[in-house]
Amino acid sequence: MTTLSVAKSRTRPLISWRVRKLLIGYSYLVPAALCLLATVVVPIILAIKMSLYADVLYKPQDYRFIGLGNYVRLVQDPVFWLTLWNSVVWVFGSVILQFVFGFAAALLLQQAFRGRALVRTLTLLPWIIPGVVVGLIWQWLYQPNYGVINDLLIRAGWMQERIAWLSSPDFAMGAVVFTNVWRGIPFFAIMLLAGLQAVPDELYEAAHVDGAGVLARFWHITLPLLRPIIVVATATRIIWTFNYADLIFVMTGGGPANATQITSTYTLLQAYSSLDFGYAGALSVVLLLVMLAFTTVYLRVTKGVEET
Amino acid sequence: MDERRSISRRKLLHTLAGTGVIAAADLAWWDAPYIGPRKAWGAEPVRFQWSVPEPTRIALINSLVERFNQSQKDFAVQVEYVPQAQARQKLISSIAGGNPPDLCQVWDNWVGQFNGMGAVEDITARAKSWKHFADVAPTAWQTVTISDKIISLPLSVTLDGIYYRTDRLKELGLKEPTPDWTWDEFLSLAKAFTKADKNQYGYGMRGSGTWALLYPSEFAYANGAEVLKDGKVTINSKEAIDAVAWYVDLALKHKVTPPSAATDGFVEIVETFGRGVTSMYQHNSGSAGQQKKNVGAGNFATLPLPIGPANKRASFWFSETLTMFKGARNKEGAWQFMSFMLEEEPSLKYCATLGLLPARKSILEKPEFAKDPAQAGFVNSFPIGIVSPYLAYPGWGGKIDSDGVPLIQQAILGKISAKECLDRFADILKKEMS
Repeated sequence: MTTLSVAKSRTRPLISWRVRKLLIGYSYLVPAALCLLATVVVPIILAIKMSLYADVLYKPQDYRFIGLGNYVRLVQDPVFWLTLWNSVVWVFGSVILQFVFGFAAALLLQQAFRGRALVRTLTLLPWIIPGVVVGLIWQWLYQPNYGVINDLLIRAGWMQERIAWLSSPDFAMGAVVFTNVWRGIPFFAIMLLAGLQAVPDELYEAAHVDGAGVLARFWHITLPLLRPIIVVATATRIIWTFNYADLIFVMTGGGPANATQITSTYTLLQAYSSLDFGYAGALSVVLLLVMLAFTTVYLRVTKGVEET
Repeated sequence: MDERRSISRRKLLHTLAGTGVIAAADLAWWDAPYIGPRKAWGAEPVRFQWSVPEPTRIALINSLVERFNQSQKDFAVQVEYVPQAQARQKLISSIAGGNPPDLCQVWDNWVGQFNGMGAVEDITARAKSWKHFADVAPTAWQTVTISDKIISLPLSVTLDGIYYRTDRLKELGLKEPTPDWTWDEFLSLAKAFTKADKNQYGYGMRGSGTWALLYPSEFAYANGAEVLKDGKVTINSKEAIDAVAWYVDLALKHKVTPPSAATDGFVEIVETFGRGVTSMYQHNSGSAGQQKKNVGAGNFATLPLPIGPANKRASFWFSETLTMFKGARNKEGAWQFMSFMLEEEPSLKYCATLGLLPARKSILEKPEFAKDPAQAGFVNSFPIGIVSPYLAYPGWGGKIDSDGVPLIQQAILGKISAKECLDRFADILKKEMS
């Protein structure tokens, strides 16, 4: 006897497979998004909130909402404008020179010579040493009374009087920029060297056969192929240097007379010397906006370069 | 065998044990070898932040903490060493985060700010019933008292004086300065010491850090000026301007300071003196120990600050304090350790090792301080000691660092006049008087 069973109708899932797949994909992002929220977004929101309050830690009785009061004060603060200008000199002076010398070092290290591996390792040394230690080393080198630099220059007969490199407003910024350049050259050298190694030799050979000289090969092959790396490396480095306060803090503390005070060290000074967290918050927000504006413009200007 | 000459085993053991006890008793207790911590099960921890971690101080504090932990079984002090540069930041963060240490070692110019934050424990009752209350110098109590509340114990006190090289004096055939010397004599000596072609300068001026502004302020007092008078800021008075102009002229006009003066901080003024670049500098007794190693105890001495045109002089008192926080979890343990540190032997050991002056009068009279030529200038400065006027308002300490120091640096460099420097600084102080 044959029994017939009625086939159950298949219930349609509440969420389609396509949507479910999408949700699963997003659920994998949740931990990272939460981390980002807790460590980046929330602090930014808190800093913005802080900047809208009179928040001097030793005056808890004066804590109140003041709207844009801290921003108005900032616009009227001549030291802020000085620090912003100093930041521009510090960032672009450092990054441009780091890039030029780093590129030169990368081109040299690309050549085959005996002991290349050792030289490449040694080139990394300034980058490996912690920033604070670099600051201390150079502070001693620059020391006017018993530092090596003055001593060598006087012995060589290139200088008659000792120069107070870090105590003179005319020399201090140049001296800290030079130290930062020394420290940052390996970063560009290694990044660009990696890029150079990825350039196919055939291109150079073909160009050589076509009669292209060294400069033409550099201009028409090396530079275009390295552009994506150059854009990313310089953008990263500019943002980094803008916020990098260690060297200045150790070497000059922003002095003499604010000659090396950049906005990030000024923010620290306001927060931890004056305990004025409201004003320090406003300075931090402005720093963030300046960097956001710069990054947007920079990426727009170099748009499409990565795909070159 | 003659029994009178033979020693029984029991007698030998007794003799050895007796010798050991005498030897141990003869050892200063802090020099006794550390055997191991006494087991103190259930001892409550006391978190203690220490902010000047250099080798001598670390060894000293470790030793004192071990002694305290061994001397009783209820509390176990745990030291948290923080570099001085980060100490203030770390304390502020921990106070704001609601997790301060039980106790910390800080200078009194920070305590006002912490007190303003409502973070410091009022220890008036404990201090007044403490057995050594009357033995602590009244001015030392003033440095740690705000609105009639005692908020710290003064571990040591400092007064500024002038260090000078006695060997250089002899070498150059110069007359030994006397404790009642004047500005003119100070300047003449600075000029005589200066041989720029040999990289030698008369005076190691401090241009960096809080004291870059406090030192010229002391000179201003010698010219009859005051920072605060009848509740009003008077740091830009004519007397103050004249004094600061005279002070910065040491660098600008007379060139008796090293070219790096505008950024020379504590390390630099101590180092340049130690290396023979400068022959005088202004500091408290805290670097006397360092100079004994650097130039030798017999090659330098100290003097009170010189007398100014107003026939006056003043040296600012500061205290290195032990401060307990309101948020401390173990206030009794913190107090026990604070008061232990001001007992005679720990205080004597601490101050004598580091070249600081004890806050307790009975300890200060000991020969370690009263008869040491390196300390003479500071001990003799007690009659001219006044509490730093910059402790008057909690916001002033921070403003000296953020605004005052850049201003005095500009004056030292000749970028602005002494008048402009003090007028601008006075405006800043006025805004912080609430």
